[in-house]
Amino acid sequence: MKLVIKLVLIAILGMSSASILAAVSEKDAGIAIAAAEAERKKAASVDSEWRDTGKIIKKAQEAMNKGNYEKALKLANRAEHQGVYGYEQAMSQKDLKMPSYLIH
Amino acid sequence: MIKTIRGLSVSGTLVLIAALLSPASSAVSAEQKTAKGSDLEQGKKLAFSRKKGNCLACHMIKDGVSPGNIAPPLLMMKSRFPDKKVLRAQIWDASKRNPETAMPLFGKYEVLTGDELDKVVDFIYSL
Amino acid sequence: MKKIISLLILMVIALSALSIAHADPEQDRKSIIKFFETRFVGIPLSEYVNGVYAYDTIGRESWEAIEEFPPYEIAIEKGQDMWEKPFANGKTYTDCFPDGPAIAQKYPHWDKKQAMVMTLPLAINQCREANGEKLLKYKKGSINNILAYIAFESRGKKTHVVIPKDAPGALAAYEDGKKFFFTRRGQLNFSCATCHIQNAGNRIRSDNLSPALGHTTHFPVYRSKWGAVGTLHRRFTGCNKQVRAKPFKAQGEQYRNLEYFLTYLSNGLELNGPGSRK
Repeated sequence: MKLVIKLVLIAILGMSSASILAAVSEKDAGIAIAAAEAERKKAASVDSEWRDTGKIIKKAQEAMNKGNYEKALKLANRAEHQGVYGYEQAMSQKDLKMPSYLIH
Repeated sequence: MIKTIRGLSVSGTLVLIAALLSPASSAVSAEQKTAKGSDLEQGKKLAFSRKKGNCLACHMIKDGVSPGNIAPPLLMMKSRFPDKKVLRAQIWDASKRNPETAMPLFGKYEVLTGDELDKVVDFIYSL
Repeated sequence: MKKIISLLILMVIALSALSIAHADPEQDRKSIIKFFETRFVGIPLSEYVNGVYAYDTIGRESWEAIEEFPPYEIAIEKGQDMWEKPFANGKTYTDCFPDGPAIAQKYPHWDKKQAMVMTLPLAINQCREANGEKLLKYKKGSINNILAYIAFESRGKKTHVVIPKDAPGALAAYEDGKKFFFTRRGQLNFSCATCHIQNAGNRIRSDNLSPALGHTTHFPVYRSKWGAVGTLHRRFTGCNKQVRAKPFKAQGEQYRNLEYFLTYLSNGLELNGPGSRK
């Protein structure tokens, strides 16, 4: 009996500490994915979406569905960066500047 | 949203500072040397990989099969870049020095992670 | 009085804005030709219809060998069948294209009624739609057969893209295509010009980069890599993916405007499609 109680206690402790260690919650991952999707759309709105951004978001979503929130967050952040950079890339070239090798 | 990016560039700068502060290679012990050797191997692998560095797409590199000729061959890097951090900055964002460069922004656009970039820099610097 | 002054001011503003937007396509074309003439001394302009083989002498030999038994021949034959076979309603392509099949030189052009760049693939599908036929896909498949036939029949005609002055949308579309061409895109941060002007003739690994000049004269193209004949917009898609940019829709506005600009550059060059490439 004592052993059973001990085991149960250990199990409870183990579970709670695991949840403390797993710093990324489902909510965090969800927010990150939504942010990534918003940045992807922003880049797409200026014709500057990168090739893999949508695929990375999809992978993040899949990781979240499987409960792997840490992986989901990591992927979502990467996709978010791509969206931001893609948008910036287009904005920095808003006004067409002819390259110097064509100006005679 | 930009926060994560800012955090990233800060960590990038930290890596850069760390690289600057690291001791000169002449002072490393034998043990570190082997570790360094395998790091160089990893750097070479990354540099040659089509999906990662793909340096061979444009640069001739010793041991590299069918290199491109868009950019200068990677030789004598230490004399071309006495300051290693200048080389790292070049690989990080080549458009800073030349806005019309054909070189991808390996660091800034996260083609390589910071760790991967460091390994590539180490390898290229060894050429 | 005040009204007149403000009207005048508005007019001046409008005029100056117009002059900024009003770059000269002929000037663009000439400066790009000059670039290639300086880069590849002695190669006549007419050679650029052969794309990279204008200067890739090693690749040229195997290309010429392939061209002896052209891999696109079947596509031409199938395309001819398509052209001649009446639609379900009894009409044929000739009802849509009375001057056909040698009509490739008329495309792309500015369609005043629809206020957009009209390309040959789009015109083919509009014809099919008007006759109750199924639409063809724009990258792979049987559209390439009819395009190959039309290209073959149009051989020897000259690229002749017109930007009508009385349709401001036409110049805007050209400008849009030009901007697309020079805009860096994707994670690898290349523009079309990075490879096909700035580095034309240089090698990426062992692949020689082709010149923008002459790009459009030989489509559709049989590519060994595809194992099939493919459209120009399929090639655009591939280029965008290679620089890790998300490709645009085939026959969407971006690619049609790009085609308008790119084809304009080849004005005066002979059409020699379909072509074959590695």
